[in-house]
Amino acid sequence: MSTALPTIPVLHAEWIKIRSLRGTLTALTSVLVATAGIQTLTAAAIGTAEAGSMGSDPLLAAYYGINFGQIAAIAFGASAFSAEFHNGALRTTLTAVPDRTRFYLSKISMVALLVFLVGEVTGFVTFVAGQQFMGQYAIDLGAPGTVRAIVGSGVYLTLMALFAAGLTAVLRSGAAVLSLLIPFVLMVSFIVGEAAGGFAQFMPDRAGQMVMRIEAHGDLGPWTGLGVLALWAGAAVTAGWIAIRRRNA
Amino acid sequence: MNEIEIRELTREYGTTRAVDHLTFDVLPGRVTGFLGPNGAGKSTTMRLLLGLDRPTSGTATIGGHRYTDFTDPLYHVGALLDAQAAHGGRTARDHLLALAVSNRIPTRRVDEVLERAGMAAAARRRVKTFSLGMRQRLGIAAALLGDPGVLLLDEPTNGLDPEGIIWIRELMRELATEGRTVLVSSHLMGETALLADHLVVLGRGKLLADMSMKDFIDAHSTARTRMRTTDPIRLRATLAREGLELVDAGDGVWTVEGIPAVQLGSLAAREGIPMLELADERPSLEQAYLGLTAEHAQFTSARP
Repeated sequence: MSTALPTIPVLHAEWIKIRSLRGTLTALTSVLVATAGIQTLTAAAIGTAEAGSMGSDPLLAAYYGINFGQIAAIAFGASAFSAEFHNGALRTTLTAVPDRTRFYLSKISMVALLVFLVGEVTGFVTFVAGQQFMGQYAIDLGAPGTVRAIVGSGVYLTLMALFAAGLTAVLRSGAAVLSLLIPFVLMVSFIVGEAAGGFAQFMPDRAGQMVMRIEAHGDLGPWTGLGVLALWAGAAVTAGWIAIRRRNA
Repeated sequence: MNEIEIRELTREYGTTRAVDHLTFDVLPGRVTGFLGPNGAGKSTTMRLLLGLDRPTSGTATIGGHRYTDFTDPLYHVGALLDAQAAHGGRTARDHLLALAVSNRIPTRRVDEVLERAGMAAAARRRVKTFSLGMRQRLGIAAALLGDPGVLLLDEPTNGLDPEGIIWIRELMRELATEGRTVLVSSHLMGETALLADHLVVLGRGKLLADMSMKDFIDAHSTARTRMRTTDPIRLRATLAREGLELVDAGDGVWTVEGIPAVQLGSLAAREGIPMLELADERPSLEQAYLGLTAEHAQFTSARP
């Protein structure tokens, strides 16, 4: 099985494929721009209005922008994979890298690595920049849970991108995945609202966002919540792997 | 080591057999034409060779290896499957660069193959701005990246302009002369006749012929002689005595089967029949191909 692991040349090729597509690269940079940008603008506008104006959980409120940044992460994960289903590009890819597991793991690894790097920067920049405008309600960088939220938010974005990438490999269409996931992450939180408990707390976005909360909310803790999202992402990535291995290209 | 070996290769999709117990070899040093009507199994065979599809039974190997066992396959095999197989948003150069890098091929090869395919000027343009002919050239550039000993080209002349067709014809000749194995599928007889030294013909997934171009034409067509004469009536009578039939081909041209021009000329001279024009008609690959498919009537009459 070790022969199917990613190799440096194949990883390098996957990096070239990602950086050479304008839309995919834009989605990746949008993770940082949307999360930190919207966070900063919102904080500047209403951050000091009253306590809890950006959300009842002050730490999660420091990541209000991630509701938008995660859409960019989903778009990045989906478009990095859907590029293989344009014009039969996958056939060309598989003639160069006939080991489908190696190809798949390489692409997944490159997607994960890039979102993780951008995500960690995003986690830090979003927190620091957003808190500049919070006045008396600002959270200190050393406050409990802060470092966990910064690191965790980057992991959260990475897992959301992988969730989308795996689903795209199954559905073979980026558009299908986006039209499925974006309403899903936007609507579920909106409809269910802040209500704790129930099945909704196990939804990928709700569970994963536990890592950015300071106060307990429902049955999941910060890391167990992120773990639930990891299970979702892991299931999607596994399903994508099976689809890529089995289907004819 | 560049030999393609197809052994008892079978691929079923549901109840239909796209490829049915195929066995043949493709040898280096010559261009092998891969012929058959659409749906005969040419593309499926190529996809099975490249590991893009799995055979129901049998094997397809290159130099004794299954394609999927190659670590850096582009050094061994170059393939052009369809001209569309590149993402439209990438530049030609980035498309080739990703392929080269994945197989540890030096990046200078990218510029070399772009040059060889006549695409150097379009290297930094996005693939979606390309004409079909340019996409074919890009696909051929990709096939040449690793300087492979085996080339598999599926309908490479599709969409090429006359200049491009001559270019690819010469390129394939060159590659075969260099000792490479070249397998070219086509459904265009005229094109294949000019390209190939050897033929593999499929019909409904089965092997119909595997022989040299010359043997194929000789075996599946009848030699004819064409002529003009001022006295067709006497000529007809003379030929009838020999058991031959004169056929009116229109425009004062007559043809006869079963007697070469050399013999017919001396026969006419002996009889004192004036001949204005006399030549052996070279049977074409197309005639031979149609002759073959007529022999396998089930392939032409019982289409699904």
